[in-house]
Amino acid sequence: MKELPLALVEMRNVHKWYGKVHAVDGVSLTVKEGEIIGLLGDNGAGKSTLIKILAGYHRPDEGEIFIEGEKVRINSPSEANALGIETVYQEQALVDVMSVARNFYMGREPVKRAVFLDKEKMNECMIPLRTLGLSIKSPDLLVKSLSGGEKQGTAIGRAMYFKAKLVVLDEPTRALSVKGVQTVLDLVKGLKEVNIAVIYITHSLHYVYSVADRFVIMDKGKIVKDIRKDEAPLKELTEVLIG
Amino acid sequence: MKERSSGIRHEVGQRFRKITSAREVITIGAAVVLLVLFTSITGGEFISARVLSILAIRFSEVGIIVLGVAMVMICGEFDLSVGSVSALGGLAVVGLYQLGLNPFLAIAIAVGVGVTAGTINGLVSVKSGLPSFIVTLGAMMMWRGIVTLITKGYTLIFDVRESHPAFYTIIRGEWGVVSAPLLWFVGIATMLVLLLNFSRFGNHVFATGGNKEAARAMGINTSKIKVTCFMIVSGLAAFTGVTQVTRIRGFQAMHGTGMELMVIAAVVVGGTRLGGGVGTIIGAALGSIIITFLEFGLIMARVPGFWYKVILGIIIVAVATVNEVLEKRRK
Repeated sequence: MKELPLALVEMRNVHKWYGKVHAVDGVSLTVKEGEIIGLLGDNGAGKSTLIKILAGYHRPDEGEIFIEGEKVRINSPSEANALGIETVYQEQALVDVMSVARNFYMGREPVKRAVFLDKEKMNECMIPLRTLGLSIKSPDLLVKSLSGGEKQGTAIGRAMYFKAKLVVLDEPTRALSVKGVQTVLDLVKGLKEVNIAVIYITHSLHYVYSVADRFVIMDKGKIVKDIRKDEAPLKELTEVLIG
Repeated sequence: MKERSSGIRHEVGQRFRKITSAREVITIGAAVVLLVLFTSITGGEFISARVLSILAIRFSEVGIIVLGVAMVMICGEFDLSVGSVSALGGLAVVGLYQLGLNPFLAIAIAVGVGVTAGTINGLVSVKSGLPSFIVTLGAMMMWRGIVTLITKGYTLIFDVRESHPAFYTIIRGEWGVVSAPLLWFVGIATMLVLLLNFSRFGNHVFATGGNKEAARAMGINTSKIKVTCFMIVSGLAAFTGVTQVTRIRGFQAMHGTGMELMVIAAVVVGGTRLGGGVGTIIGAALGSIIITFLEFGLIMARVPGFWYKVILGIIIVAVATVNEVLEKRRK
């Protein structure tokens, strides 16, 4: 008999207040291994607060978080990384004025003789990037010379390389060209193939509909809809979003 | 200007597309231009061994602080208190020596005092969230006030040349054009190059200055990085205070006033980006050489002293503008 896939991440009855604003109001969310979730909602719906709790930026005021069945407290971004949760913010994932290799290993630099950066090892970042189909010419290129799709790819490739179990993408297609968007959507599918779960945050269904397995729609801090794609026609989802 | 920058682009071309290289090429070019200019104006006097050794001591003393300020600026902060902290270091070593301490012990404590002042700068600015510009402006005034209160404006004598020749040689020795300050400068610059470009800490400094949020998201403790940079610059400033009082053989309360802006000028001329994230130690070293060339060259060319500040002011803005334009073009 086949076992049910274990819940990778489970958030139970999570609350967060900012002063009087109830930014996250009793949210319970489960993410399974290799599942792609489209997290939708208007600005101020509570999507980013929820994700920042998961990424270790904020502590929940109430509620519990379980990773692979074990109760955890995520106190910092590095603790989230250690638990296998990587968040990729478009504006915040990479340092523009640093090279691809230095960005790739940022915070986890390989060293030799205890202190010196192991540059040869750092150049190996080109292998996972090529596997993702990115044609970045050199690990020494500054990130600002990359295209939008390549930047996203570098951040996603980094998450894969460091064995993330869940990658959170915040508006990954914002300000991308059509080709860049396709690159990102292919990357998301690539993550699923290697059993990495994805939470894809966006406020439009447009691109996410083609890749997501499930849609979670938030409004005023609450989840108003949590539905699998095979049960959710595009039209109905659009109505909930606009409604 | 346009011709020159396109010339550089052509020359440096594909091989060194990194901005840091282009920035340094401009800096080296400026140093060479100044050297040639002042040598011809002074009829060769500018590159005589006597003048060069004085120049070397001067740019080494200023330069040690400039290197530290470059670190702080690369991690995205400012330090206006270096002149006052340098005075604090000078006063500490003179005061402790007069109280009967061995000068070697006194210098260790003086540098420790500097590092402590830097820790305070760093912690206050990181914890309060205030711009370090404001925090170190306060520190600059406070330490200067304390130094003046302690000395009551009197000059303190610090003559260790005969009494402690070993100490004097290590801090102030001179062998032809080579001098102890120059060796300290080269040694500290080498250490900082290793630290900034070849260590994990250095990568975190660039990341913190380049994009603090990205650095934090990747688990870098940006506050710790910033505080460490403040500790380094203040330790170096205090050390420079010691070398200066040893050279001048005394301390007075005005020691190091006006230095804070001059060192920022040197860092900017050396190609460090004002907003942080970009810069090199080599560039900062060249920047200190340039502002020293300018200071001495103008004096030797008998240009009235006030022109130094006028020209320095123009150069800072010009260099920052050129770097900004280059950066935008490469984007």
